Amino acid sequence: MQEEKDFIQELLNPKTQNQAFQKLLQDYQKPLYYHIRNIVLNHDDADDVLQNTFVKVFQYLKDFKGDSKLFSWMYRIATNEAITFINQKAKRNGSTSEAMQSKIVDNLKADTYFDGNEIQLKLQKAITLLPEKQQLVFKMKYYEEIKYEDMSEILGTSVGALKASYHHAVKKIEDFMKTN
Amino acid sequence: MKAFKLDNEPKIASGFTTPDGYFDTFSAKLLTQLPKQEPKVISIFRVTKAWYYAAVAILILMLSVPLYNQFASHKEEVDSATLEEYLAYNSNLSEDEIVNLLDKEDLEKMKVEFNVQDKEIEDALDSNTNLEQYILD
Repeated sequence: MQEEKDFIQELLNPKTQNQAFQKLLQDYQKPLYYHIRNIVLNHDDADDVLQNTFVKVFQYLKDFKGDSKLFSWMYRIATNEAITFINQKAKRNGSTSEAMQSKIVDNLKADTYFDGNEIQLKLQKAITLLPEKQQLVFKMKYYEEIKYEDMSEILGTSVGALKASYHHAVKKIEDFMKTN
Repeated sequence: MKAFKLDNEPKIASGFTTPDGYFDTFSAKLLTQLPKQEPKVISIFRVTKAWYYAAVAILILMLSVPLYNQFASHKEEVDSATLEEYLAYNSNLSEDEIVNLLDKEDLEKMKVEFNVQDKEIEDALDSNTNLEQYILD
């Protein structure tokens, strides 16, 4: 924890800021990219949201109180940015985010930056049929392997509720995979 | 068809990929965007805002100083002047003059009182049916 406090000080000090931010980028760009990509699905959108996320992290770092871990604080920003992004995109297209997401998944085969077999595609389709919260919990647990305790800090939901969400999601997905 | 269990299956990856070298260039691309958003810009704005408020506060203070002086000095001048005048006037005032002044006031008061009394007497006489009897007696 002390190490993290020192690192935050380095990020805030104009002398060490650039170097510290470079380290932050190296450590978090990949996991945050895949976290965002799992929500927005498309690479270009994920790129946009990832940039916005890091800009916001940089901007609001001085207000970061250290109540939670830097890791979960950044994930929280990324999650909010990604969800806001898909909602705004759906609004612009006069559609709902659910309808838009399932359309993207239907066209995933043609996506240059998707390299998956039939079962991977089927799982993506099964996920789009879940309620929004279950989708998020399933992706974070199954694809990203984030611990429930960390997920609880990121999403502000109790561990028990997250476990229940994941359990429901798995059951629905297994049913879908079996029947289709 | 046999039951599908996620835990029994080999891990299914998301299948998402990125353009070649995406993560190598991302940080460089992002760092060029940051100076525009530097908190320094905000701090300069905050400083100018503080100066702006300070200037307004000083202006209000400066405007209120003559106003305060005007009120404060007027009060003092009037007080001392009237006091002096009163004392000077009072010392030259003869007792007769004071009596005259008082008499006039008293007379006016009495006039009013008499008027009221006259009316009351008239009313009393009017309402008295035995008046003529009394006069005759």
